[in-house]
Amino acid sequence: MYNKIIRNDMIKSKWITVTTMIFVAAAAMLVSLAAILAVNLYGALDTLMTKAKTPHFMQMHAGEIDTARLTAFAKQNSNVDEFQVVEFLNVDGAQFIFGEKSLANSVQDNGLSVQSEKFDYLLDLEGNVINVSDGEVYVPVSYMKNNTAKVGDKAVISGKEFTVAGFLRDSTMNSSLSASKRFLVSSSDYAEVKTLGNPEYLIEFRLKDRSGLGAFETAYANAGLEMNGPTVTYALFRMMNAISDGIMIGVILLVGLLVIAVAFMCIRFTLLAKIEDDYREIGVMKAIGLRVSDIKKIYLAKYAAIAAAGSILGFALSFVFKGMLLENIRLYMGESKYSSFVYVLGIAGILLVFLAIIVYVNGVLKRFRKISAAEAIRFGTAQEKSAGTKRFTLSGNRLFNTNIFLGIKDVLARKRLYITMLAVLVISAFILIVPQNLYTSISSKSFINYMGIGNYDLRIQLSGNIDNVDDKVSEIVETVKSDQAISKVAVLTTKTFKAKMEDGSEENMKIELGDHSIFPIAYTEGKAPAADDEIALSTIYADEWSLKVGDDITLAIEGTEKDLKVSGIYSDITNGGKTAKAVFTDDSAGMMWSIVSAELSDKSLVDAEVEEYAAKFDFAKTSNVDEFVTQTLGSTISSVETASYAAIAVALVITVLVTLLFMKMLVAKDRYSIAVMKAFGFRNSDVKAQFVSRSLFVLIVGIALGTLLANTLGEMLAGMVISSFGASKFDFAVNPLSAYLLSPLMMIISVLIATILGTSRAGQIKIFEHIKE
Amino acid sequence: MIKIIIGDRIVKSFGEGDEKRNVLDGVSVEINEGEFVAVMGPSGSGKSTLMYALSGTDNVDGGKVVFDNRDLSTASENELSDIRRTAMGFVFQQPTMLKNLNILDNIILPSMRDNRKNAAKISEKARTIMKRVGIAELEKRDITQVSGGQLQRAGICRSLMNNPRIIFGDEPTGALNSKTAEEIMDIFSEINADGTAVMLVTHDAKVAARTERIMFMRDGSIVSELKLPKYDGADMDGRVEKVAVKMREIGI
Repeated sequence: MYNKIIRNDMIKSKWITVTTMIFVAAAAMLVSLAAILAVNLYGALDTLMTKAKTPHFMQMHAGEIDTARLTAFAKQNSNVDEFQVVEFLNVDGAQFIFGEKSLANSVQDNGLSVQSEKFDYLLDLEGNVINVSDGEVYVPVSYMKNNTAKVGDKAVISGKEFTVAGFLRDSTMNSSLSASKRFLVSSSDYAEVKTLGNPEYLIEFRLKDRSGLGAFETAYANAGLEMNGPTVTYALFRMMNAISDGIMIGVILLVGLLVIAVAFMCIRFTLLAKIEDDYREIGVMKAIGLRVSDIKKIYLAKYAAIAAAGSILGFALSFVFKGMLLENIRLYMGESKYSSFVYVLGIAGILLVFLAIIVYVNGVLKRFRKISAAEAIRFGTAQEKSAGTKRFTLSGNRLFNTNIFLGIKDVLARKRLYITMLAVLVISAFILIVPQNLYTSISSKSFINYMGIGNYDLRIQLSGNIDNVDDKVSEIVETVKSDQAISKVAVLTTKTFKAKMEDGSEENMKIELGDHSIFPIAYTEGKAPAADDEIALSTIYADEWSLKVGDDITLAIEGTEKDLKVSGIYSDITNGGKTAKAVFTDDSAGMMWSIVSAELSDKSLVDAEVEEYAAKFDFAKTSNVDEFVTQTLGSTISSVETASYAAIAVALVITVLVTLLFMKMLVAKDRYSIAVMKAFGFRNSDVKAQFVSRSLFVLIVGIALGTLLANTLGEMLAGMVISSFGASKFDFAVNPLSAYLLSPLMMIISVLIATILGTSRAGQIKIFEHIKE
Repeated sequence: MIKIIIGDRIVKSFGEGDEKRNVLDGVSVEINEGEFVAVMGPSGSGKSTLMYALSGTDNVDGGKVVFDNRDLSTASENELSDIRRTAMGFVFQQPTMLKNLNILDNIILPSMRDNRKNAAKISEKARTIMKRVGIAELEKRDITQVSGGQLQRAGICRSLMNNPRIIFGDEPTGALNSKTAEEIMDIFSEINADGTAVMLVTHDAKVAARTERIMFMRDGSIVSELKLPKYDGADMDGRVEKVAVKMREIGI
């Protein structure tokens, strides 16, 4: 019997059935995709890090190294399982030539390495430890993705010829967030070119017990061992490898949840309308003694059928799209070892969607209990109280045209029904605006201020371990200052100091000294250090040491103590996020590095200037900041841009489909009142005007709420995405023209078109068919 | 006598192919200004269809309808809407009211379409009419909060708002008890006495007996007509008897 009832009902309302099914299928697809991607990411990452034997602790170090002392430390520390020092020969990007292309513009620290002996292996694309022969080079996989090189290419590195034998996955440096990239060559080739670059060291440990990592880090720091460079631990490697795909999964899941919400709203609307239509029948069924659960079953069965069909369709679709989305994970990390789980989790995902719908429908159907059999049979409709609209009467209306009045009045009188449409439009506005604002924000010039970088055009970085570095810095500053094209110059020098902790221990702390007011960055709290006794901390330092603005911190400088007050806290993505800024002058210890940053009055000259300084100061690394941003954030910006266009399309499709669906249903539901109005001389255009004012009224409220939500909740959500890059506080940069004018306009046009299409049948309603007894 | 409606050999059919049948089979009818007429006949005889055809609410398949010198069969849908709104009044068996509006708003609704600026004046007029039909105190009520008879009075008020040339009533007392029905008929008589033509479709001899001309329909045609003197409150039983005799005579 159910089958027949369901079939008849679906044929009668095929539009509604199809639209609801589309939303269910989309939701199921997205949730299933998120599950599939998450399993693959987790599995592939695990496989990669297991096969490569990723170090648990890695200290990068530039300068002299005392291997004997390090070995002694490793032997003496009981938690150390394995220890090794890997050499990394930093080579200037221009020295890497692949055919016509070179890495001259690369902001990465590109360098050569040999295969590790004990762990931290470099793997080929099949996941095997690479055995490299003389004359061969293996290139980081990211250079395969951006088509810099291909297998078989001739490569010239530091003047020596190599053949590109393949590509490598590097579990520690794969990510674009990692500043260095290792090229693998044979030991004898490495020895040959070693003199042509600056060797740096990767001091690596694997521990017996990873939970003792914190203690190990402290022990390493307290032993006063080599640490002129960033420290990276296993969790950070994992995070850096997972982040870009992780964000994608997060976004898919979020969109999936929003689509489920839209599906819920469609179901709610159609179900409420259906209950209203069937009010008398439900009353009769109750009156003749059918149980509420029996009646519910009839309605539930239909939605179970829709949900089942939609879920299966969505599951199938997720398999169509998964290959495309898995591409990146496969390239950077390889296959997942949990491939059989993929089906299980995908199915679990769609089951979740299916169950959520059943539970929701069941919840909406609770209404049945409230239906009084007697009332339903007598009046045939719910005796709904339209409280709050009593005073809004036609006789008292001076403001609106009668059709507009009737439209608004209808919305106010049937809030329960329209709230559903409102919710969908709020979601649409949200989907429309948030990605757009996110894109505007991260593509704006000031966005890098959130990441600890000021608004300068070029920077010249000198490593502290080159000879006569102080003189060279002065030379650069003088040259730059006398350059007519340059309007502002700042010099910031980073040195390591010992900071005294509360428990009396000392920790190394990198502090950037100089004038921080020339190229200001964004502070999460407080402000830039201005006085000699002030210091600003990066979020990671502040969190690690539980320091707030106004707290004190003590540095030990050559035996004397210096007290500093925390003036501000900022987000930083540079140098592993552990940085500090101060203005005091210090002539003591040697510097780690120095950066001369400059702003040009004519931005078009940046490329030429960068080239000129790069040639003039070959001992330093000159880079274009825009280039730096493009290379580190460029792919993110462009994917957010694509996502924002996709979001606009999705939002408008949802708007049109749902408005169309609602209007068609409303016309069917209101055919009696339409007939009445027509009988009393209202034209078809009047009826249309009433429907248009209904949907526009709901839309205007929806846009207002959606925009408000986008700028609060949306900003918070976007902030969470941004914080994964290291920035902690985040305000939307809004393009008012597109967010407050174009987007609402697009929605209004969509709703207008959908309403006019959706109400086209209103004109065909025959008066006598509905009024005649 | 000025004729406000002339129906000339009206044909209206329903169904397709073999199923096709003429509900109005070349009916000709004229209604004079200020006349009070009734149409009687068994279910399916076409009496309601005739009323919808004469009022331009439904289009016809043959013949023509002229209202106030305008040919309704060639009028556009918008023109028909305008004529219904400005020159005709309608009262149906079931109270055709919008659920969202209170009684007063339902009454003034058709008038407000064109004259929103005069809302105060229109409301005042509505109150006067409501007082006249005895529902003055109900203006703020929801339509679910009043009785069937009161709703029907409200429906009559609505039909009077635009000073129509004619009021069409489709079984206006069909859903009411006999006492209420009589009160409603009193109102119709009063309206007619003021000069507005009234055309009622009914199968109730008591209702028809109030009018001055009764057309009897069967199978899509007018088969007979009965003329009565204008009702002045006297000899109701005699009038009803005359209608009943006529009905027996033609077998309906």
